[in-house]
Amino acid sequence: MGAAGIVLRDVHKAYFKDRLEIPVLAGLNLEIAPGEFAALMGPSGSGKSTLLHLVGGLDTPTRGSVRVGESQLESMSESALTAWRSRHVGFIFQMYHLVPVLTAAQNVELPLLLFRMASSERKRRVQTALSIVGLGDRTDHRPNQLSGGQEQRVAIARAIVTDPDVLLADEPTGDLDARTSEEILNLLNALNTEFGKTIVMVTHDPRAAGHAGRTLHLDKGVLDREEVNARKTAAASAS
Amino acid sequence: MDLLLTLLLRNLGRNPRRSALTVAAVAMPVVILVLSFTIVAQLNRFLDDSAAQLRLAVAHKTSIINPLPYGHKARIAALDPQKRDIIAVVGIAWIGGVLANDREPLTTMGVDADEFPIAFTDHLLTQQEREAWQRDRRALIVGRSTAAKMGWKVGDRVTIRASIPPYSEFSFNVISTAPKAIDPVANWCHLSYVFEERARSGLPESSVDLVSFLFVKCSGRAALERYRVEIDRLFENTPDETQTQDEKAFLNQFISQQFDLPTNLTLLALITIAVAVLAAANTMNMSFRDRIGEAATLRALGFSARFGAWLSLTESVLLCGIGGCVGVLAPVIAFGYTPIGDVQIPLIVRLEIGPGVCVVALTLALAIGTIAGAWPAIQGGRLRVIDALRSLE
Repeated sequence: MGAAGIVLRDVHKAYFKDRLEIPVLAGLNLEIAPGEFAALMGPSGSGKSTLLHLVGGLDTPTRGSVRVGESQLESMSESALTAWRSRHVGFIFQMYHLVPVLTAAQNVELPLLLFRMASSERKRRVQTALSIVGLGDRTDHRPNQLSGGQEQRVAIARAIVTDPDVLLADEPTGDLDARTSEEILNLLNALNTEFGKTIVMVTHDPRAAGHAGRTLHLDKGVLDREEVNARKTAAASAS
Repeated sequence: MDLLLTLLLRNLGRNPRRSALTVAAVAMPVVILVLSFTIVAQLNRFLDDSAAQLRLAVAHKTSIINPLPYGHKARIAALDPQKRDIIAVVGIAWIGGVLANDREPLTTMGVDADEFPIAFTDHLLTQQEREAWQRDRRALIVGRSTAAKMGWKVGDRVTIRASIPPYSEFSFNVISTAPKAIDPVANWCHLSYVFEERARSGLPESSVDLVSFLFVKCSGRAALERYRVEIDRLFENTPDETQTQDEKAFLNQFISQQFDLPTNLTLLALITIAVAVLAAANTMNMSFRDRIGEAATLRALGFSARFGAWLSLTESVLLCGIGGCVGVLAPVIAFGYTPIGDVQIPLIVRLEIGPGVCVVALTLALAIGTIAGAWPAIQGGRLRVIDALRSLE
């Protein structure tokens, strides 16, 4: 699968708590090009995670449109969004969310169960995904036998095993030390530059955001400002 | 599919202690259910076998514990002097009994010696036993499970003290252990010997010739129905009116008045099943709560809400199914292959657990699993992924 662009137009999102309306996104407009690596930054409550959920089809906007590739998400039903997610999006969470009773290979294999695929093909894809993240020799380890960085690598392998258009990472280095964070960010970078995946990453860490081509700063539900990482852009142009 | 099965099975082992307790909570009511259904079924078989003997039981109309005058026997027999329909009338006096050095109650009854072999043909006494029975007024036919339990054999002399006034002591000679009798527990002796001991004890004459009930052996179903009505009509408006029933109805009433085992066992089984449902439901709710993050992740990966519900429900059914298997196998092994199988239950020789009861019990265990897993499954289906993910942050 190739990369997909992301376009948000006048996106509003509000939650209700005890009948009280809490606006999170207030007319957000945003475009992320196919194959771009974008970082989302902003204070707590600025709408970063909500934006990620909308782009990932986990939630729908109160108003406005969300387009990912050719799919217009706001008009899709719950079940259609579920099916769409399995084919077009890979999620990477801060706390990895691996199934503790399954091995690394089995965790990576899980999303492939949603595809009509021979067992041998599944195994091949799992091995490839684990090799890409550098864990080809840890296939039979369970999450509790892996370090935090290794667990996150398994989670990344699980996110890429279906070859999705878009990778959505919610603070992927938030629970890791500096050195391991760097390894994970380099891996995401490689997925972006070598495999052309569109990546949207929520982070609080400016160093992590520095790995992205562009950093989008959200504040009070709107795009406050954006920065282009010149070094990354230049490297991308050179390659 | 093999990965899903792996996931299901490993989920069961996540919290081994909790799973083991749930399996035990399901297994116990299944054990009770298997035993109660088996006992009830075997009691019913005993009653059906008794019904096939074409005997009427005549008891006092007021209460089963009120005795009848022995004179009733002759009046009933006079209803059919040709003995075309009424083949034999047997007076029976219940004396119960205990051994001098044992508190274990016995079921011993005095019967008319001449008519007993005619009316109780299921005892299939040999010619030698028949002769011994007729010849010896102290003869005792012992129920085979009683004989096995007491270690009695033909030729033994046993002394039994009656359980009812005047608590006479009877000295019997065992002449048969009745291997074919429907009732494996009851012992039979001569009614004349019972009357003799009562007279000797100084009871007033009016209290000597009394019987607990009369059994009337009929020639066929039509005669059974006819005399069931006629006998009661015969004693209408007398001081000792009768209530005549076929043997099955009589024994059923007797069992109900004595201990009502079927009802009590069924009630017990139902209560424990309800407890098992609650225990299993509690486990499944805790499991769901523990794994809410995983459920949300699976949904984020593209698994449907229905899949989440299926996973939860299948785990519950699987867990309770294991409990059901344990609950079925435990009594099958205990009563089939260990000394526990020798334990005596009234009117039942040996508890034989049939495949039908096992199937019913396993089905019930799976139903417990379905009910217990229903709520977590519904919750899993309704799970809002972003709320669940947020709760983990």
